[in-house]
Amino acid sequence: MKWPDSISIKHIALAFITGLLVLTSLIGGFAAYQTRTVTRSLEQHNQDAAQSELAAAVQRLLSQTEEQAVKLAYWDETRQQLVLPEYYAYWRDQRVYESGILNSRYVRVALYGKSGMLLAPSPAKTSLPARLPADTPPHQSSSWLVDEAGAVALYYAFPVYSDEQRQSLLGHGLIRLDFMPALLRQDTLHFTDISSVSMMLKPGEKLAVPDMFSRMDFRARPDPDQLRFQTILSRTLLALFVLLVVTALLGFVAYNRLLVRPLGRLSQVIDAMQHGHFSSNPARSQTMRISELENIRRSLYDYQLQLRELHGSMEHQNREFHSQARQDALTGCHNRRAYEEDWENFRQEVKTAPQGVAFLLFDCDRFKTINDTYGHAKGDRVLTIIADALVMALRANDRLYRLGGDEFATFLSRTTPAQAKQIAQRCQSLLDASTFSDLGIVEPVGISIGIAFCAADQLEQIDDLPKQADIAMYTAKQPGRNRIALYGEDTERASQTLVASRETSALFQALATPGMVEMHYQSIHSLPGCKVGYYEALARIRYHGDLIMPNAFLPVVSSRRLETEFDLAVLHQVDADLSSGQLPSGCGISINLSAQSISRPEIVSHLLELSRHNARHPLMLEITETSLITQMVEVRTYLDLLRTVNYRIAMDDFGTGYSPLRYLVDLPVDVVKFDISLVNKLGEDNRAGQVVANFARMMNDVGYELVAEGVETDVVLKKVASLGIAHVQGYLLSRPVPLAELSARLAVEETQTTCSV
Amino acid sequence: MRVYLLCLLILLFPTAAHAVIAKQEMRPGIPASAEYLIGERNKPAVLLLHGFLQTREFSTVATLARGLQDAGYTVLSPTLSLNIPNRAQSLACEAVHKHSLDDDVAEIGKWVNWLKSRGHRTIVLVGHSFGSLQLLSYLSLNPDPAVKAYIGASLIEAQIGATVRHALIAQLEGRIHDKQRSLITQTLSFCKKYTSTPEGLLSYVRWDQARVQAALKQSPVSTKLIMGDEDKTLERGWLKALQHMQVPMVIVSGANHFMDGSHEFDLLDHTLKSLQAIQQASSP
Repeated sequence: MKWPDSISIKHIALAFITGLLVLTSLIGGFAAYQTRTVTRSLEQHNQDAAQSELAAAVQRLLSQTEEQAVKLAYWDETRQQLVLPEYYAYWRDQRVYESGILNSRYVRVALYGKSGMLLAPSPAKTSLPARLPADTPPHQSSSWLVDEAGAVALYYAFPVYSDEQRQSLLGHGLIRLDFMPALLRQDTLHFTDISSVSMMLKPGEKLAVPDMFSRMDFRARPDPDQLRFQTILSRTLLALFVLLVVTALLGFVAYNRLLVRPLGRLSQVIDAMQHGHFSSNPARSQTMRISELENIRRSLYDYQLQLRELHGSMEHQNREFHSQARQDALTGCHNRRAYEEDWENFRQEVKTAPQGVAFLLFDCDRFKTINDTYGHAKGDRVLTIIADALVMALRANDRLYRLGGDEFATFLSRTTPAQAKQIAQRCQSLLDASTFSDLGIVEPVGISIGIAFCAADQLEQIDDLPKQADIAMYTAKQPGRNRIALYGEDTERASQTLVASRETSALFQALATPGMVEMHYQSIHSLPGCKVGYYEALARIRYHGDLIMPNAFLPVVSSRRLETEFDLAVLHQVDADLSSGQLPSGCGISINLSAQSISRPEIVSHLLELSRHNARHPLMLEITETSLITQMVEVRTYLDLLRTVNYRIAMDDFGTGYSPLRYLVDLPVDVVKFDISLVNKLGEDNRAGQVVANFARMMNDVGYELVAEGVETDVVLKKVASLGIAHVQGYLLSRPVPLAELSARLAVEETQTTCSV
Repeated sequence: MRVYLLCLLILLFPTAAHAVIAKQEMRPGIPASAEYLIGERNKPAVLLLHGFLQTREFSTVATLARGLQDAGYTVLSPTLSLNIPNRAQSLACEAVHKHSLDDDVAEIGKWVNWLKSRGHRTIVLVGHSFGSLQLLSYLSLNPDPAVKAYIGASLIEAQIGATVRHALIAQLEGRIHDKQRSLITQTLSFCKKYTSTPEGLLSYVRWDQARVQAALKQSPVSTKLIMGDEDKTLERGWLKALQHMQVPMVIVSGANHFMDGSHEFDLLDHTLKSLQAIQQASSP
């Protein structure tokens, strides 16, 4: 049995009262038992007393009868009747009663002569025998009982002498009396129940007086004092019990009011304090009648007041901390933490109140460049101005969150796609109206805005809004966009990005799992002759047997800022492929790297490690410049370092992205790969095609080794060849193939594609 | 030791030592007793008779008997049987009275004879109240010659209350004549409900004041009466009637019918004086 850890004071009181009542009941029961014992003793005493007094009464009756017999025997008139019985009836019926010798008519007397014969017949009702019983002693008194028709009669026979010397017997006298009435008429029976006294005699049976008690049946009379005593005691016990019960109940009520309730209130107050709830006005709470409790209450309330003040102070500080924790210190708008909390709350809120929801993601264009160019201070100032402009553009209840760097977000409730776009445009307009010239920034500062919308009846997709806005932002960031993109409407590859969740999962799993990034190799051919010069390693992700292409996961890499991690995975896989020995010696490999990765030490370190393959496989790094290279000095330094270990540097996708000419000027580029969009221009016989052709020719003259990407037609191939571009790449010549297939082809030397140029 | 104790008792109680209970059978089955107080042989013997329905233990009689014995007189104090064997108690008025004055007189005669059988030749009859009447009745019927004198104290006739005596007598005689044996209740003497046979009652009722006075006049022996002037039981004028007869009589001043208290001594003194006179008169 397990005892509870703590017992309520009310239970203690109940247990005490119950124990008290049980104890009282036991005492009452003991008293009742003792009373019953005493009662039985008294009843026995009464029985004994009844027997004694009954015996005394019988003896008294016998003595009285004997006394009457003696008086009669010595009475002159008795002797007269025995001698001269002429007026015997007068004597028998009158004189014996007038003289006072017999005091009751229930007692009859008869005289018998010496022969034992009755002097004269007695009245019939007296039923005195006509002759003395034969066994009557002649000179002695004798007595006996006879049952006569249910009535017990006592007979007392006595001799009558003529002289005092008892020498001359005259005859006998016989007294008859109704025994039971005579016995019970005595007023001396106090303990005997008169109605219960009876004599067990058979009809006509004669019983000697000494044997009387053996045949006598009787009961003791209930003692009225004893009954009164029992009644008083019972009532007293009952009254005591009732009094105790009432007292216990009143005591419990008083105990409850004076102790339990106040303690309960104190306990509640303490519990409330424990949970941080304080009474609004403790001084107004009900006072307690127990002085000690009142002291505790006052102390507790004083303590509560102090705690409340302290709590208020702490709450104020907490609010400040909370506000600070949720506020971006630079811009003053809400930070990422606030965003996460508010977004979670907002999600829950709209589930109960369906409405159109829009998620806007803001990103400053070329902020890295601005930051690098004008310094962090001015970069921060730019962010502040952007935040101010966005806040002004948003609706009154909309909140702006800085998610990190130059990325801001907001979510709009009760809106439509058109309204969201309108707000986005207002943001851009206000920002465009902002002047940055005070900061010395002359170039325009703009923001790209990705918008994702979820209608009221599609709220189950609300969790996808940030991702969709990210994709829209990626779209908006694309060159040639108007910097505002609505997911689903402006994202051309919405269907693909809709499954981005799958690609995202594949990407993150590939980054964490070596081998999932699979390299396909596309040959790059030298002109003229289209002989394979080297191979470009192109990344794929093998996910559950399917091959995920770069156009599906690269937007995720870009939006998630996973360029470095992805490039590391690529380098690992290229290293593995080269180390596998499946590629023949002298087979050069070109590796794509993002511009951001070049400035990462871990990338550079890995490239240095990978350079060990340069002896067998000349390595080229293709710097993709669709993104802004913000750390130009560091990139140049690293590229110079990599060139020392025989890496060749190629500028990929030239003709798209940011400041290509600046990159050519500032960076140690060996190879320039014309973007397919430029290459396609070569096929056109117009001014644009002329510009591209002239530019290619110029680049070639300067000494850059040119590669034309995306050559898919013979026309373009011939044009490229005519411009003196050293290398071409495209589906016209070959498609990317896995390492195993390439290895197999190289084994049979099927890779020697030839062309007519 | 017992001999010494008996001697001591005789010295302390000389009278008791000279007292004897005498018994006689008056009628068949009716014995009676008398106390015989032995006195001096040279003094007359006194036959002392109690009053109506009383015994010799009655205070006035017993005191007088002791006084006379103390004075040297032999006293025989019988208790009339009233037809009750060995009667020892005063007989209640309501008891069955089967005795008559004739029975009483006969018993007196037996006791006189008893005294004579004891050698007493001079006998003085002393009676109290109704006993004086019974003795007077004895004297009227050929008394024994040994009886020399008569002293009647508080002599009284047979009073019957308001009943007309001759009518009662006639009624009783009629009953006797008709042999009606039923008991009669009648006022007699101090008894309001004297219950008796007609014969018995009639024997007493006949003794009215006149017959008493006649008996006194015709008494063969010297008579003397001792009366109390405060005796309320007496019929009014009885004392004057007696005085008018010039019967020797002493009236004790202040004495009632029983002459109790200090008057017991008066009764004794006057009795002794009478006895002395009788003794002197009879002495040769």
